[in-house]
Formats: sequence, C-alpha cells, structure tokens
Amino acid sequence: MGSEIKAAKNSSTDLRLSHVQLDQEVELVSIDLPDNQAEPLFERGFLPGCRICPVRSSPSGDPIVDIDGSQMALRRETADCLCVKALRDLKGK
Amino acid sequence: MSPTDETEHLGQVLESSEDIPLIALAGAPNSGKTTLFNRLTGLRQKVANYPGVTVEKHVGELRSGDQVLADLVDLPGIHGFSARTLDEKITKDVLEGRVDGIKKPDAVVIVTDSTRLENQLMLVEQVLELNLPALLVLNMADELKGRGGSVNANALSEKLGIEVIWTNGRTGEGTGAIIEYIARLKDNDFVSSNDIMNPIKSHKLPVLESFSKRKEAVKEAISDAEFIPPEPSAVSGFLDSLVLHKIWGPMIFFAVVVFVFQSIFTWAVPLMDGIELLIETSGIWMSEVLPDTWLKSLLVDGIWAGVGSVVVFLPQILILFLFIGILEDSGYMARAAVIADRVMYRIGLQGKAFLPLLSGYACAVPAILSARTIEDDRDRMATIFVTPFMTCSARLPVYVLLIAAFIPNEPFMGTFLNQRAGVLILLYALGIAAAIMTAFILKRTLLKAEPSTFLMELPPYRLPSVQSLGLRLLDRGKIFLLRVGKIIFTVTIVLWILTQFPRTELGPPEIEQSALGQIGHVIEPAIEPLGFDWRIGIGLITSLAAREVIVGTLGTIYGMEAADEESLDLQAALQESVSFPAAIGLLVFFAFALQCMATVATVKRETGGWKWASFQFFYMLALGYFGALLAYKIL
Repeated sequence: MGSEIKAAKNSSTDLRLSHVQLDQEVELVSIDLPDNQAEPLFERGFLPGCRICPVRSSPSGDPIVDIDGSQMALRRETADCLCVKALRDLKGK
Repeated sequence: MSPTDETEHLGQVLESSEDIPLIALAGAPNSGKTTLFNRLTGLRQKVANYPGVTVEKHVGELRSGDQVLADLVDLPGIHGFSARTLDEKITKDVLEGRVDGIKKPDAVVIVTDSTRLENQLMLVEQVLELNLPALLVLNMADELKGRGGSVNANALSEKLGIEVIWTNGRTGEGTGAIIEYIARLKDNDFVSSNDIMNPIKSHKLPVLESFSKRKEAVKEAISDAEFIPPEPSAVSGFLDSLVLHKIWGPMIFFAVVVFVFQSIFTWAVPLMDGIELLIETSGIWMSEVLPDTWLKSLLVDGIWAGVGSVVVFLPQILILFLFIGILEDSGYMARAAVIADRVMYRIGLQGKAFLPLLSGYACAVPAILSARTIEDDRDRMATIFVTPFMTCSARLPVYVLLIAAFIPNEPFMGTFLNQRAGVLILLYALGIAAAIMTAFILKRTLLKAEPSTFLMELPPYRLPSVQSLGLRLLDRGKIFLLRVGKIIFTVTIVLWILTQFPRTELGPPEIEQSALGQIGHVIEPAIEPLGFDWRIGIGLITSLAAREVIVGTLGTIYGMEAADEESLDLQAALQESVSFPAAIGLLVFFAFALQCMATVATVKRETGGWKWASFQFFYMLALGYFGALLAYKIL
C-alpha cells in the first residue's frame, strides 16, 4: 500500500512501467530487483537505455510490451520494479 | 553420473562415427530451429537423454547423397546461458564439450527468427563468446521480407565475423546453404576456432555490465547491417486482439481447453476400444492355440495383459500431443500461459504450469515431462508435485465401475444432471481442489521463495509444419511406450508370479491362497478401518501397476473371466461385498493416491532422486487413506 502511494506521488520522477499507458514508448532507467531475478530480464534485452512500449494488456491486466521488435508478457509486480522515463506520448498531452 | 542404457547405446553410435564431425544447432524457442533440424535430418534422428539429467538429446545424420556429412545435434531452445534451467545448462555444457558421451561440437549453427533479429542477437552474442566456428542462419526470410523488413547479411557477417545465410524453414529454402557450409568446413578440416573474432570477454564482468556490453554489440551490428525491422504482423495483431481480449480471451481459452478434453475423451475412445478388442481377441486366440501350461498363463494373463494395459492409452496420448503440438507451434500456447498465469500465480504456480496440468488429464507421465519448460526450479517442482492429482484416464475405468455399481442412475438437480455424472464431476473437482491446496501449502513451506520473474515471449502466430508435428508424435509415442511400458510390464509380470505360488497339485493356487492373496490378508488390518477387505487390498496392490488394473483384478478375484468396468456381474459382486460408504471411500482413495509406479519412476528421474518421488507418493497415499477414512466415517 505504502509503496503504491509513494509511486503515485512521485510519478514524474519515479515512473514505473506498470503505470505507463498503452502505446507510450518509454526508456528503461533501472531495474529495482536483485540480480538473480533481474537476469532473465537482462537476457531478453531489458537493459538501462532500452526502449519499451506497452502494446496491450492481458485479460488479467498484466502488461504486454514491445521490446526490440519482440512482444513480451510480464506480471504487474515485475513491471512495478522497472523504473522508466517517458520519451514521447503518442496520444498527445 | 552413470549413463543410462539409452545413452550408452547412443554413445556407441556416436563413438563408432568418431571421424564424423558433430554440428550443434542452437537458437531461441520458436526460431524454427527444430523445423530446420527435421528438414536436414528427416527420420534419421535419435532421441535419448543426456547422461544424468532428463533433457532430451536429439541427434540426427546429415547426408549429402549417400555420404554422411555430419552428425547434427538439436540443442534445446533457450534465451541465454544464465543456467536457470536444465536446458540452458545442457546447451552450454554441450557447446563447451563438457558432456559425457558427446564430443565437443566442431561447429555451431545458430538459428534466429529474422523478424525478431535484434532480440535474438543477444543469444547469438552469448553463443559467439564460446569461440566455436559458427554459422548464423536468418530464418523466416519470407516473413521478414513480406512485412517490409530487411537486413544486409553481408554487412552482418562482416560485423560478427561469421558466415550469415538466409533460410525459410517452412519451404526448406536455404537448407542447401547450411549443408554447403558444413561440407566446406569438413574440406577445410575445420577452421581453428581461434580464427573467430571474439568481440566481448564479458564472463568476468558483473551480470548487468556483461549484458549491457552484449547489447551494445547488438546495437552496433544492427545499425551496421542496416536492419529494418518488419512491420508488426497484422494477422498476429488481429488474433491477439481477440485471444488476449478481456472477455473473448478467457472464453477462447476455455473453448480450447474444452475442445482438447472433448477430443481426448471422445475421439480417442473408438481407437482405444479397437485396441482393447484386438488385445482381447488375440489373447483369447493365444489361449486357444497354446497348450495349457504355466507358460500360456504367463503369456496371456501376464505379458499380453500387461502390454494391453499400456498400448490402450496410446491413442489418447497421441491425440493430446497432436493438439499440444499444434497449440505450441502456432504460438497459442504462449498466450494460454499468459492468460492462465494470474490464477496459477495465486495458488503458487505460474502460467507455464498450465500445459503440464492440462496434459495430466490424459496421463501424468508425459505431463510431468512437459514441466521442463518451467524455468524456476521451485515452480517446476510444485507443478510436478500436483500434476498427478489431475484425473488421468487410468482413473476413469475405476470410477466408472464403482459409480455404476453404487450410484443410482437417477436425475439430480432436476433433469440437468444425472447423479452418476454429478459424482464423476465431483471426483474431478476433488483432484483439482487437492492440487490447489497442495500447491498453496508447498509454496508457503518447503518451496517457499521470492516470487520468480515470469517473462513470456509472444511469438508471431505461425502455421505448424506437418513434418514437425509428425516427428513429435513419433517421439512422444516412443517415449510413452518405453517409459510407461517398461514399468507396467514389469509390475504386471511380478504380480502374475505372485498369483502362481505356492503351487498346488492342480497348478496355480486359488487367488486367496496365492502369495498375492496372502499379501492382501497381511494389509487387511490397515485397510479395515476404511471398510475394505483383503480382496480390495489385492486390488489396491495390483493397481500400483496402473490404476485401471484393479478392475481386472477384482474380476479375477470374484471369479469372472475378462470382466471390464461395464460388467454387470462384477458390479453385483461388489455391491454384495463392499458397503456404500466404503465404495465412496474407495473412489476418494483413487482420486488422491498415487497408484501408478510409472509416475513415481518419472518423478524420480525428473527430480533427480527418490526424495521428492517418495515424499509425493506417501503424501498422496496419506491423503487418499484419510480421505477414504473420512468418507467412510461420515457416510
């Protein structure tokens, strides 16, 4: 609960992939997970500086993202640990 | 690590061809690697296990005319070498020549799905770091071009320092170039691996840095080779908008599951009946032709009955694996795992457990084998542990017999459901409930861990290749017959021997006086609280071979020749000697207990020892026992 409130408050500086809207491309800043849990992500290209774009959600609301031309499904909990920054907003601000 | 007999055999095959080069085929899952392997080797392939572990080793011969050019080994599809799975570990070990019975490959052919080149190059970088002569295959060339993508293969080749070729796995285009490359390698006596440029020496760096370096190298290669990514596939996009839709998605998922069920339980039935009839009539024929000795009894009642009880499941297994093959190769299985993940995660499993659990409704043995795709060890263990709770088809004859004997054929809940069908559904639900409860407890006690990272790539939808499906069925059928067959066969013969002694002047003893009957009497005190007598006791023992064997055993005990689950005489005999609460208890016992030695043996292999296999056996036995006791006392 506490972390959710914090994330919402600091959303401009501490944006998490789980809060990114569909079709909004973002850049990965860091992965807030221990190495052994982050390694599968590294292996598939989730590395600082890479571009990630949520393309749809699964029926249970978990994100499916496009990364390097591949589509990957993650859990919300994992996406919550990916710190990202906005690049551009296709839907316009 | 003592090699099993299977691997020993394969080792001999490989040793005898010492001078024939070994080429490894590596690549990510869904890169079309296995389709290419099948195209290159056809039926000239063998499947065995790597020594000491249960990862399958696929080796085939690559021929050019009559000449054997090379042995090809199809490595498991992986994403990298972080060695979280057995597949990853084995792939790395094979490529580094550290596996007994298989020499270090002379070269590696790396297969990539060119439509997802950027992502796949991460794996290529890791393979290149192993310093083997390598060929990069850009597969699915037609799809890349069809969707407006392109890449300069020559520039990529220059950048990576290895040869690069195009292929179309589905049409076989470009396979000639792979053969040519291998032939050329052979003529040059294999270029020394030192000639290969190794761009990164990253294994000493911390994890993040080493992957960042690789990614940099990939970015450079992509830009040097002017890679233009293809437009997103419109077909895949459209299908995903349905398949992953909030409402349609789960409905389609449900429909697929029902369809697969329907097919294993309806389409397979005529085939199974046919096989049963064939075994039965040939058994009768044998007993008419053969002289009346113990040998005849061994052949007909022992061996032939044993063979029959295995082969009868084959149609179901094959139909199940045909569907699984179609679902996997088309790309739907990845979506199904994503849809199932949330629910599975709640009970302590994960999306990839969906496939083993579904397969468990046919037979737990292949189901447990299919749990290998689950990366996280604890998730995999929990999945293997609960899979035998799924109502496999060997339980059905037992259920059918007892339900027909004890549950009246009367409506229940209006005309909507029949009482018999209601009980059957309840038994299925009981299995599911036990699985959920067990997974839930396991993941909070013995298998407690940080939540694993669930990451599922959704490959573009593709048409499955008939050749790959056919070869897979052949493979699965063989594994099933060998693994399950060996166990059921042995147990059946042992049981037959137990019915033959001690001998009387007239030949074999009455079943109550036989060694088996005496065992039944010995365990009677243990099962008496459940309302079972020695006869059910014998049935419980023989059903360790395979659950449905109890039907035939009870038939023999009650003196009925060739009784099956629909036999009215057998039903009447049961009604006389078993009380209603005890019969319900017996149903509950079969829903829970792991009455299947083939499954126990498979779990032992898959978990690398007796620890989990015996724990699982006794846990399920205890659950079955106390479940039956509870039912007996309440009713």
